[in-house]
Amino acid sequence: MILDYAVAVLLWLSIITYATLGGADFGGGIWQMFAFGSGKQAKEEREIITQAIGPVWEANNVWLVYLVVGLFTAFPIVAGTLAISLFIPFSLALIGVVLRGAAFAFEESIPQSVDVHAAFGRVFSAASIIAPFLLGTCAAAVASGQLRPANGRIPVAVFSAWLTPFAIIVGLMGLGICATLAAVYLTVEAERQEQPALIEAFRIRALIAGGVTAVLAAITLGLSPFEAPVIWHGMLDEGLWAIALTMAIGLATAAALFFRRFRLARVLVQMETAGIIGTWGISQLPYIVPPDLTITGAASPYPTMQAFFIAALVGMVILLPSIWLLLHVFKVEEKPPPVHEKGLEKAT
Amino acid sequence: MPNLLAARSQMGLSLGFHIIFSALGVGLPLILCIAEGLALLRKDGSWMALARQWTKAFAILFAVGSVSGVIVEFELSLLWPRWISFAGALIGLPFAMEGFAFFLEGIFLGIYLYGWNRLSPVVHWMCSLPIVLSGLFSAWFVVSANSWMNSPSGFQMVNGKAVNINPFAAILNPSTPFETTHMILACYVVVGFGTAAVYAAGMLRGKRDDYHRKGLLLGMALAVVAIPLQIVSGDFNARFLEQGQPAKYAAIEGLVTSGYGLPLYIGGIADPTTGQVYGALEIPHGESLLAHFDLNSYARGINEIPAQDHQTAGSFEAVHLAFDGMVFIAFFSLLVAVVFWLLFLSRKRRVPENKLVLWGAAIAGSLSFIAVELGWIVTEEGRQPWIIYNLMLVRDAPNPAQWITVSFIVFSCIYVLLGTTLIVLLLRLARRPKTPMVWNEFVQREEEGEEQRSQGLERKKAGAR
Repeated sequence: MILDYAVAVLLWLSIITYATLGGADFGGGIWQMFAFGSGKQAKEEREIITQAIGPVWEANNVWLVYLVVGLFTAFPIVAGTLAISLFIPFSLALIGVVLRGAAFAFEESIPQSVDVHAAFGRVFSAASIIAPFLLGTCAAAVASGQLRPANGRIPVAVFSAWLTPFAIIVGLMGLGICATLAAVYLTVEAERQEQPALIEAFRIRALIAGGVTAVLAAITLGLSPFEAPVIWHGMLDEGLWAIALTMAIGLATAAALFFRRFRLARVLVQMETAGIIGTWGISQLPYIVPPDLTITGAASPYPTMQAFFIAALVGMVILLPSIWLLLHVFKVEEKPPPVHEKGLEKAT
Repeated sequence: MPNLLAARSQMGLSLGFHIIFSALGVGLPLILCIAEGLALLRKDGSWMALARQWTKAFAILFAVGSVSGVIVEFELSLLWPRWISFAGALIGLPFAMEGFAFFLEGIFLGIYLYGWNRLSPVVHWMCSLPIVLSGLFSAWFVVSANSWMNSPSGFQMVNGKAVNINPFAAILNPSTPFETTHMILACYVVVGFGTAAVYAAGMLRGKRDDYHRKGLLLGMALAVVAIPLQIVSGDFNARFLEQGQPAKYAAIEGLVTSGYGLPLYIGGIADPTTGQVYGALEIPHGESLLAHFDLNSYARGINEIPAQDHQTAGSFEAVHLAFDGMVFIAFFSLLVAVVFWLLFLSRKRRVPENKLVLWGAAIAGSLSFIAVELGWIVTEEGRQPWIIYNLMLVRDAPNPAQWITVSFIVFSCIYVLLGTTLIVLLLRLARRPKTPMVWNEFVQREEEGEEQRSQGLERKKAGAR
């Protein structure tokens, strides 16, 4: 029982990690869409987004894969239920993830002509919008208890579960979170590259996106008693402190941005994302898919949970030093600007 | 299109696409590791240029593999929710472990890829070792899950529910040693002949320089070690299947009827409904001899196997042809490799530039990719109608959602898009001006890198003040 909760927490942490890292990839795509045109600033914005995300997107995607795999290992019934009733949004979100990944995979090798680049960018910015939006609506469908089996049968590929006004608001909130995350990260990146115009541009965007997200969050909260009663009651019982904390972190993030403490803002906006997703999790305890599937009820038998948990620990013991090495090699020493490197290659 | 057919088509397409990139992802690191190792050992610019060129190609291939891998992981649930609801608890674990191995491979690939000028040459070379190892482990974990579908173990069925689950026993199911070895060797065969083919093709177009000769040599070296092992491993697999999955064994050998002293059917259409084999080359007593080293031994045909275990229409014939195609490619490739090395050794260690040998290498390289696909068809089609052997039927597993056909069409388009873009980009990469090929130039560039590094550090220090 404790093990079931431990594994559930592990998976929830994967959601949070994917949201804070992978979410920023998508957010980058959203801002890339705003950075159209051939103006100097737009071009610089596109470049900094590519530079910031290019080296890390693959690692970020691993969290999504781990989440999918972990869900079907530890809570196979949940994986099956979600696959049947949310087949459409998950398939579409998968397409978004794939196109976004492909964009990065090919980024370095595509011809440097402006037209091809722009066309490429456009397609993949669109992908960046559908994926977080749909994943948001799926989360809302789960949280609002829409995936309830009727007469013992799971609803098959229904639109009504994830196209409610509530789900759409949550989907938009997903977009807002991604955009905020990316904008805040990009202020730090721009600061590192000493580009004041970009710092300012992304600071304003981070504030606006954060504000919009806060409004959407407030609407979600207001709709919850009617649309997601299980969560609402759970929140009143268990999660008020979490809501208060999340709100406080949100205000702190805004303050940090306002006073141009970008590195602090980056940590805070990650905590904010963790707060939002964590509050959702706490509020729907003990359910994993309300109102029928509980964490203990849906969990795999003990030996599987134990093996999964141990494998996760062993995996982290191997991974963490590797990640440290990666960061050590790349972040400690300052990157030589890539433009210079390209010039050097041509010269030789 | 019925859901079952659409789901099978989408899964088959996805795995058929993904298997190419995973095979390259497992095999290519070894080529990188050897090439860079030789470059450092002999201070040889050509080896270094090879290592660098393949690193660039590997980066793209790995990325495409990671994207197509995400699709496959999702599809396990999205297309087969009833299968995953049952099997997840039993065989999800190796997928989770593969996640870590893949992550590790990605991290060290990142270091390797962007670390040429940031790490000392030896440390950089050492970073290729974890890539080789984690690639190996990834392949082992995933294929052990597939083996489990062929010989499910590590649990007991009581009233339709799996109890007494032991996930590690499930990973180490009876098929695992055979299947994993065969797939991992396949990765090295493909990469060996594939690399050789690239440079053989280059030499055929007149690029007969040291760089191309070394590329060909390295590919052929890996190939000549891997292909005989692969043939032996294939033989072990077939022998295991005769007991483990008799219906699959009957299909690969085209055994429509049981009997003593059966012939070996090479090619042909083995029709289980009429009990005839049409158009095959028959070697009298061959089957009995190969299977049991006894000319008149008994072999079981599909007619002796309960009808519920029979492959769906068409699968039986397809499996036989796919198997024979794979075996033919294996022996053809072996011949090419042996001829290449005989010529090499008999001509005072000079890389053969005989047109026929080069053509042979180029063809063996392309065919070895087809062999991987055929092998996959043998193991998957041969298991039909079961998704989990003797436990769950494929037709009971697909998602009931009415959108599977649409999904199949959309994903087909995505694969066409991904595949074409990739080919165009790789061709561009091959035509791009090469990195310098003289050792001194590498050393010089590394010194420049060193300078940049120290400048960077100074700037950082200044910033810290």
